[in-house]
Amino acid sequence: MIRDITIGQYYASESVVHRLDPRTKLFGVLVYIVILFCIRNPWWYLACFLLLLGAYRCAKVPFSYVLRGIRGISILLIFTFVFRMLCTPGEEIWKFYFLSVTWEGIQKAIRMTARIALMIVGASLLSYTTTPKSMADGLEKSLLFLEKVHVPIHDMSVIVMIAFRFIPIIIEELNTLMDAQAARGARFEEGNVFQKCRGVTTLLLPLFLSTVRRASDLAMAMEARGYTGERETSKMNPLVYSRCDRAAYLCIILVPVFYVVVEFVPKWIR
Amino acid sequence: MLKGEQIHFTYGAGTANEKHVLRNISFQIKEGDFIGLIGASGSGKTTLVKHMNGLLRATEGGLYFRKENVYGRKYPLSKLRKEVGLVFQYPEQQLFEKTVLKDVMYGPCNLGMTREEAEASAKESLCQVGIDGSYYHVSPLELSGGQKRSVAIAGVLAMNPSILILDEPAAGLDPYTKRQVFDLILNIQKRRNLAVVLVSHHMEDVAAYTNKVWVMHKGELVLQGNPMEVFSQTKRLKELNIGVPQITSVTEKLIEQGIHLERAAISVDDAEKMILQMWKRRIAR
Repeated sequence: MIRDITIGQYYASESVVHRLDPRTKLFGVLVYIVILFCIRNPWWYLACFLLLLGAYRCAKVPFSYVLRGIRGISILLIFTFVFRMLCTPGEEIWKFYFLSVTWEGIQKAIRMTARIALMIVGASLLSYTTTPKSMADGLEKSLLFLEKVHVPIHDMSVIVMIAFRFIPIIIEELNTLMDAQAARGARFEEGNVFQKCRGVTTLLLPLFLSTVRRASDLAMAMEARGYTGERETSKMNPLVYSRCDRAAYLCIILVPVFYVVVEFVPKWIR
Repeated sequence: MLKGEQIHFTYGAGTANEKHVLRNISFQIKEGDFIGLIGASGSGKTTLVKHMNGLLRATEGGLYFRKENVYGRKYPLSKLRKEVGLVFQYPEQQLFEKTVLKDVMYGPCNLGMTREEAEASAKESLCQVGIDGSYYHVSPLELSGGQKRSVAIAGVLAMNPSILILDEPAAGLDPYTKRQVFDLILNIQKRRNLAVVLVSHHMEDVAAYTNKVWVMHKGELVLQGNPMEVFSQTKRLKELNIGVPQITSVTEKLIEQGIHLERAAISVDDAEKMILQMWKRRIAR
């Protein structure tokens, strides 16, 4: 299962979404997540899902790729579902000692799980279509006003960029390690909990070591190429909004407006 | 011992980014073989080697170990992993235990040996790679680069494989340590009568140590033969973006210049012998 993680990877392709300014996409994801937390009616979840499908189609990222990513977090989703289902008071449907499944619990469980899944799938669209570099640039430029109150935005954006960059590298390294230990008879997929834990420890130490080594190598390489953390550097490709971005902003703003109109206006009229 | 028949391997079969990594590979490894597997980067060497101990499963084709079908339903992969030991590139990066001895015992313990058996096997392997008792209880992280590599190789040897596969065992080592590692491999091969597969970019090493050479190109096994046969096809190898040993090019140039050597040499010793012979002939005339 560890091998299937596709979250945080960049999916190279030529599409409108790939060309959008990272700030536009960040704003879009922000709006999307806020909406996800506002909606309660299941129909809206479906609408969000369709919206996502459309966005993925525009970005030319195959949806199967996304599903593989979800499989990686399936444990989290199952946990959420089960706990919500069991730990919500209300009308009991089924009881087993102290565990009870309630009608409210099931509703809440479905809502929470859908919310998390939609959120992750939506947010991964951002990372699929935005290189870590431009993501960091986008973040930096949108938050730069915080530098005035001495928040080190520039440093933070570099840290974020490097963290993103390291995800696929570490996954690849993990795969190599798993192969190597499997060649020495380790079994990661079978056995009881203890055997599995034992399997994981054989990976963690080498992985930590190599990550630390990589980090210090990278720091050295960056310094060797003149990185000092100075704020006043010029950009090779400064971010500029294009016509596409303006259109995208319009769409992004229209979505919550549409939601508010459909959901609340009828109530006010009444 | 190990036989592959028409092995094909495809990444992401059926999807848009389908990639054929191996095409129609048939091979046979016999007892006592010392095989050099060469090829340009990305030619599929590592992928092929991962098939040999079942880390990857061919999308098409068959693999037989001692005439048993490895892809058969009941065949336990752990048995194949025990018999075919695979040492990865930079194997020292997989060391994880607190002490050298424990790390080497990890493999045998996984195979279900008792502690005593595992310890005996580990000690024997460590001795054969030249790590003596004073290092048993040292952390592997405190060893030098060459020692770490030796310990990692011992970790695979301790499983008592009958085929040992080494992926670039000398990468990143200095010439002296490299020589030691190769001598050690040759030594172990002779002592345990192992079949060895050596994946390497370094033609000199392949020419000096192996008795069979396989050449891979774009996922296919394009040439097989003894080192002499393979390295004499200089032109073909150049087409495949693979060099020949330095001494081979040198002797070839000599022949072009009209010096009567029997053939292009594949090692310095070989060249020495032929040049001496040539002088003897000249003097006799």
